[in-house]
Amino acid sequence: MFDKILIANRGEIALRILRACKELGILTVAVHSTADADAMHVRLADESVCIGPPPSKDSYLNVPALLAACEITGADAVHPGYGFLSENARFAEILADHNLHFIGPKAEHIRLMGDKIEAKKTAKRLGIPVVPGSDGGVTPDQDALGIAKAIGFPVLVKAAAGGGGRGMKVAQTEADLALALTTAANEAKSAFGDASVYLEKYLQKPRHIEIQVLGDGRGGAIHLGERDCSLQRRHQKVWEEGPSPVLNAASRAKIGETVAKAMREMKYLGVGTIEFLYEDGEFYFIEMNTRIQVEHPVTEMITGIDLVLEQIRIAAGGDLPMQQSEVVINGHSIECRVNAENPVSFRPSPGKIQQYHPPGGLGVRIDSAVYQGYVIPPYYDSLVGKLIVHGKTRVECLMRLRRALDEMVVDGIETTLPLFRALVREPAIIDGDYHIHWLEQYLAGQQTE
Amino acid sequence: MARQPTDKTPAKSEDAELIRELAALLDETSLTEIELERAGLRIRVARNVTVAAALPSALPAAAGAVVAAAAAAAASSDMSKHPGVVPSPMVGTCYWAPEPGAKPFVEVGAKVSAGQTLMIIEAMKTMNQIPSPRAGTVTQILVEDGQPVEFGEPLVIIE
Repeated sequence: MFDKILIANRGEIALRILRACKELGILTVAVHSTADADAMHVRLADESVCIGPPPSKDSYLNVPALLAACEITGADAVHPGYGFLSENARFAEILADHNLHFIGPKAEHIRLMGDKIEAKKTAKRLGIPVVPGSDGGVTPDQDALGIAKAIGFPVLVKAAAGGGGRGMKVAQTEADLALALTTAANEAKSAFGDASVYLEKYLQKPRHIEIQVLGDGRGGAIHLGERDCSLQRRHQKVWEEGPSPVLNAASRAKIGETVAKAMREMKYLGVGTIEFLYEDGEFYFIEMNTRIQVEHPVTEMITGIDLVLEQIRIAAGGDLPMQQSEVVINGHSIECRVNAENPVSFRPSPGKIQQYHPPGGLGVRIDSAVYQGYVIPPYYDSLVGKLIVHGKTRVECLMRLRRALDEMVVDGIETTLPLFRALVREPAIIDGDYHIHWLEQYLAGQQTE
Repeated sequence: MARQPTDKTPAKSEDAELIRELAALLDETSLTEIELERAGLRIRVARNVTVAAALPSALPAAAGAVVAAAAAAAASSDMSKHPGVVPSPMVGTCYWAPEPGAKPFVEVGAKVSAGQTLMIIEAMKTMNQIPSPRAGTVTQILVEDGQPVEFGEPLVIIE
């Protein structure tokens, strides 16, 4: 087991990682930019090292500074959290070169799944159903129109180096295709440094359903059920729940086993999430995330498994916590990502939290690094915290969520709490009858009122 | 805080014996530091002049081994506001001199010009010379030789 872990991240996930380390008796090193000197996890860590000025590229993405911090503190492992360097295969390799453990998947799998075209090919090869699309990238000299017609309009032009909802353009009809291709390629080139694009069938009203997996790196892997993350704004998840309101045990078992089998074949190491679009009873693979995800608490609440703890155990050579037959889904859980944004315009609202009162009680969990008096810096994401609620049934969970949202106080900055208070009372949400465009349609409807 | 050795072979009892001898030598003489290097082994024993620590130190088992205390961090937290402060531009281990046993780059009272090297900060075997941001006189040196430093940590005061 590791002696000392350096937490290469910030905010709520850094605190989350710190908690798992403490429960395992592992010493913690918090690295931070000058803007995060007063962060909660920095105060709680055994040691802290300031690694740079506020900009991420000079601090949380600054590999030499991170390595130097490992060197002067004697850390033997690094947990990258999510975002930042968590899916940077080169970083994982550099750590290995310096005899440091990277708490995450094998570099080859990070690289494989980071290229969305290769990821799709791999998924197909492993028997995972994929969205109908171009067979690989579409280059300017190919007959893009012919390929698109074979798929069937509307089609989506996607950046090979994209992911996380970025780098996508819709072509509704044949006439739109040429422009969508050039725009997407240009945007991809400037955002990701790679103009490669591929085509996929554009599904009209799919849900976003993802499967959580855990692999021991030696051919053992289990799935931990699904999370329904259909409620998104600009491709960013806002509300996640598990189990999905539309899946039954049989379909869960079928897609779960397909995915787990693929992970066993790959000898996947650590946590991962396979994301699907789900429409008319069919699953379509879109991408795999080779990291711990923001919404991991939803799975923790319904399975009772501490995913970050298991990440660390497995990275240190440990076994899977249980066999597939022992995984039980208990009750229902919903997570709301509370952001420091105006609930209508979504304009960021950094600043000082004057009053903070988190909700409590049975089945209520807050994953947040804020506290009363904390100043949210303007340099990073706007996540205030995640409110996660669990209930024996989805109805109980919704009632508990409503109660918890009404109890929660975050004053001094604007937050999206009013949006969640409205959503939890919205009939379509209560019925679980929504899809990936639902939230944006709802918000557009609110604007015109 | 101890430097992380790149060689992970466990310490042998002969090594502990050797370190004990070196530590005894330190006490006998008026030396503050002894460094010994031979095939496969490098040991440095220094007199511990400062008290711990804003950051807790990881003490290795062998007696007298180097513990680079971060006490300066506690003392210098008020120094970061000093108008003449020179903060560290990087994370690493700072050394006063270009190599062990050599004369330090600067001493208290030295007059320096802009760009003149004040000290070295080492990270991952790379030595980085730290230049003075302005001309002036070194009135305080706030870090110990061999002390780990973080970004922004006050190194010296130049007035």
